[in-house]
Amino acid sequence: MIKINTVSGVEALRKRLLKERKKFSATLSLCGGTGCQASGSRALIDAVKDQLVKQGVEKSVHVRLTGCHGFCEQGPIVVIEPGNIFYCHVLPDDADEIVSKTVCDGEVIERLLYTDPVSGKRIQTEAEIPFYLAQDRQIMAQNRHVDPCAIEDYIAIGGYSAIGKILSGTAPKAVVEEIKASGLRGRGGGGFPTGRKWAECREAPGDEKYVICNADEGDPGAYMDCGVLEGNPHLVLEGMMIGAWAIGARQGYVYVRKEYPLALERVRVAVQQARELGFLGENILGSSFSFDIEIARGGGAFVCGESTALIASLEGKIGEPRPKDVHTVVDGLWHRPTTLNNVETWANVPSIILNGSAWFASKGSNGSKGTKILALTGRIKNTGLVEVAMGTPLRNIIFDIGGGASNGNLIKAVQTGGPSGGCLPADKFDLPLDFEALAEAGSMVGSGGMVVMDEETCMVDVAKYFLTFLQDESCGKCVPCRLGIDRMLEIITEITEGRGHAEQISLLEELGYTVGETSLCGLGKTAANPVLSTLRYFREEYEAHINQKQCPAGVCQALITYGIDSEKCTGCGVCKDACPHEAIMGKKKQAHTIDLHLCQKCGICSSDCKFDAIQVH
Amino acid sequence: MSPELLDSILEGRRSQPHQLIEVLHDVQEHYGYISEDAMKTISNDLGVPLIEIYGVASFYKAFSLKPRGKNVITMCTGTACHVRGAKPLLNQATSQLGVQPGETTQDGLFTIEKVNCLGACAFGPIVTENGDYHHDMSPGKLRKLIKSLHPTRTEETSHD
Amino acid sequence: MLQYVNMKIDGGDFRATKGSSVLDVAIEYGICIPHLCHVPNLSEIGACRLCIVEHVVNGRSKVTTSCTLLVKEGMVIRSNTEKIKKLRRNIAELLVAQAPNSRAIQDIAVRCGVKEVRYPFRNENCVLCGRCVRVCSELFGAKAIGFVGRGKDRRVEPPFGVLSDLCKHCGTCIDLCPMTFNPCEGYMKSGEEHLCGKCESQMLLADNLPESCVWCELGEGFQCSRY
Ligand SMILES: Cc1cc2nc3c(=O)[nH]c(=O)nc-3n(C[C@H](O)[C@H](O)[C@H](O)COP(=O)(O)O)c2cc1C
Ligand code: SF4
Ligand code: SF4
Ligand code: FES
Ligand code: FES
Repeated sequence: MIKINTVSGVEALRKRLLKERKKFSATLSLCGGTGCQASGSRALIDAVKDQLVKQGVEKSVHVRLTGCHGFCEQGPIVVIEPGNIFYCHVLPDDADEIVSKTVCDGEVIERLLYTDPVSGKRIQTEAEIPFYLAQDRQIMAQNRHVDPCAIEDYIAIGGYSAIGKILSGTAPKAVVEEIKASGLRGRGGGGFPTGRKWAECREAPGDEKYVICNADEGDPGAYMDCGVLEGNPHLVLEGMMIGAWAIGARQGYVYVRKEYPLALERVRVAVQQARELGFLGENILGSSFSFDIEIARGGGAFVCGESTALIASLEGKIGEPRPKDVHTVVDGLWHRPTTLNNVETWANVPSIILNGSAWFASKGSNGSKGTKILALTGRIKNTGLVEVAMGTPLRNIIFDIGGGASNGNLIKAVQTGGPSGGCLPADKFDLPLDFEALAEAGSMVGSGGMVVMDEETCMVDVAKYFLTFLQDESCGKCVPCRLGIDRMLEIITEITEGRGHAEQISLLEELGYTVGETSLCGLGKTAANPVLSTLRYFREEYEAHINQKQCPAGVCQALITYGIDSEKCTGCGVCKDACPHEAIMGKKKQAHTIDLHLCQKCGICSSDCKFDAIQVH
Repeated sequence: MSPELLDSILEGRRSQPHQLIEVLHDVQEHYGYISEDAMKTISNDLGVPLIEIYGVASFYKAFSLKPRGKNVITMCTGTACHVRGAKPLLNQATSQLGVQPGETTQDGLFTIEKVNCLGACAFGPIVTENGDYHHDMSPGKLRKLIKSLHPTRTEETSHD
Repeated sequence: MLQYVNMKIDGGDFRATKGSSVLDVAIEYGICIPHLCHVPNLSEIGACRLCIVEHVVNGRSKVTTSCTLLVKEGMVIRSNTEKIKKLRRNIAELLVAQAPNSRAIQDIAVRCGVKEVRYPFRNENCVLCGRCVRVCSELFGAKAIGFVGRGKDRRVEPPFGVLSDLCKHCGTCIDLCPMTFNPCEGYMKSGEEHLCGKCESQMLLADNLPESCVWCELGEGFQCSRY
């Protein structure tokens, strides 16, 4: 690759690429996101490539290994152009047919199409699928068009023209103003106005400043940043370049969670390619602007997503937060002014520059502008990464996009904002996805995790789950967080084991309030939210555990017993083999029984039984 | 442990204390754990007090101070996997192998680890075995997986 | 040359040296703000959270630790509101439930108005205040001990858990440790831990004049930096 050293050089390259690509008769976008790779897309890719060679069309077909398409539930996913044909659950054995029929003859393979669960009809194109129809995909839609390891793909769809636009004559201050006017707020959880952050950092005294991309995504059950970084890393890099220009930084860092090996590898390749083409380094595109990016790996600590802890970690220290009486925009990395933004925040920047702040501000609600990517998971039909305009009611997200409950159960609650957020009950589903609205209801937008829960989810258990997580992840520095979470968990454990008593509810509330008010960093300050929100909306579940010693959802191990329904049991013996405690007895082909004295309530048998015969009482 | 490898990891990073975590990642990757000797060498070469290295290595989950088993079974305990039944899986692994998460079996063959979200929530519960993903796991599938990794191993079922 | 700023604490006007913390100023003027991890001349880590105050900015008050908050011209601080007292009491309760066998912690609990402990007692021998760690590294540069592990596994240890020749046996860490004195009645056996309540007279003294330092013996116990 030759270095580009003018802004017009980028345009020229784009034109050339587009012309070259006209020669392809078809384009296959194979999803190579973490989700689809987990469900076997790697073998599929090899099979497709083999088939193309075998059938002699490898020269005229463009195969692209992309990042997440969003509809992970249906993976592995293949989208074929022309025609926007959407194939799901594709197996390596299907490769032959896809190449010979669809690619060569334009014939659609019915059985690989998506079936709409409501109408039962097969849907041919991606654009018509209800899951996608109900979204507003500004960032996620780009993934399908980009091979994250090919900078040319990003350039071909208009990439690096925002930085070009800026370098050909937008003053840094004007960039800051544009971001301010757009109303963009941080996507990492806090929702802090990005433009204001940049302005403060720009005005902070000091020659050496830094920009950091927070890709530590620690929320256990959310993977939006993973989807963006591993699908379209150059978009994030371009956002960082624009930010660096605006605040006057020459060096940037991307702090990536080590648990995302794919994202890590792809962002490394992206930085390398950007350097080779002259988007990073000295005198970018022939201008006076010099900027480079280094990549650092996270060490598996949720608290390192917190800005001061992340900075400590980048400095090679223990990832412990420090008091933020002076903000990181003034006193950040190596005590220099530092702008830290989330992956998705950075990813929003190039399009604001290209389309203007008014375009961005036209989407969303009053105080929350633009679109937000959410990781929709849990007990719901369509799991995946979805992107909607801010202000969209939760109901639309859960039912129109998510398709409702996965197994006909009643949806009871949605957990938003991960361990810092809360659980909202079904009668709050009309709330808009809006920073203030969710905060008022006791939860938060957070980074965008959205876990749907149904009748079989115990809310006390959910609170316990998050407390266990937070106890594991608290850095342990300050008293309220270290000891307060520990004591809350102690109390909740007693409740879930049927040893709780009524006064403990108010103690939990008081303790939660104390931890929230007095902890040092955001982890502790929000740690009580899962407990407080479930107490607020699902108090009767707590009371059932305490007063009746019952777990209404049938989850809490100490309060349930397992039994086998003799009608449903076929005597297959799977459970008997599965039980590690040898608590199940019975002859082949006869109904089995569980010895309640031996049963340790591990739940293994019920997960393994194919006939749904093992029941919880 | 070959000193040459550690040498090459430290190459170009000497006297740069902020490289500590990157160095530890590489050591963990190549040696499977971080030994006291390695920490002493790193302390010397990066110019970081030993106590700080020990503190950092023991703070981050990514580093283990003891050698890990030949096979590392990692259980995703993220929210999405939790709601989809990660708990019975964990019970399966711990009772089949007789060790708790973070521990290694006596014969050094297996280590169980927990991780928060691997970014494949749609296919949960997820278990990885030495880095390979297994989706939609059930206790039965996990039992077979563990067996297949070491068919001759006798199970040390714990009954507590 | 020293520069000064004017600020308000609990309604009173004070002139404070620029660069000092709100806690420094309060102690200097005899306003009692309980504290544990703060030690004069060592860095502030804001870990014990006992020294919380309300910092009023534009009419809105924010709870923050006074040891890490630097004084500023026109600053308004409230150190002893009902809200702060309640929060402090809850924190002290957590602490004393963890380490009932330390006289310093018992004294802090009394000072913060803990009358009853609602959690089962545990018997830890360290409250992770970090006084030892900081004095070792900041005053003596020995770096013989440090924080190890994370969250509930956090502890103070020398490298690899064995005392190395980095330690000069100066003993300062032990002098500063709040865990080194047993309660007046002596060591409490496991299962028999309680608030000793011996310091009731001191408590009355402190309770009646909550805002100002009365040189109570409690402060001596918890090594209030006035002593
Ligand atoms: C405990 C904790 C964990 C956090 N984890 C993340 C994270 O994983 N990713 C992220 O972008 N922000 C995270 N944040 C928020 C960051 O502190 C910070 O506000 C954010 O990265 C700023 O970027 P933004 O303004 O673009 O959102 C976390 C905050 C706390 C308190
Ligand atoms: S609130 Fe928790 S995570 Fe944050 S500094 Fe305190 S102990 Fe550490
Ligand atoms: S050993 Fe003593 S001084 Fe050191 S942290 Fe623990 S309680 Fe504080
Ligand atoms: S990983 Fe393939 S659609 Fe999400
Ligand atoms: S937090 Fe201020 S003295 Fe401990």
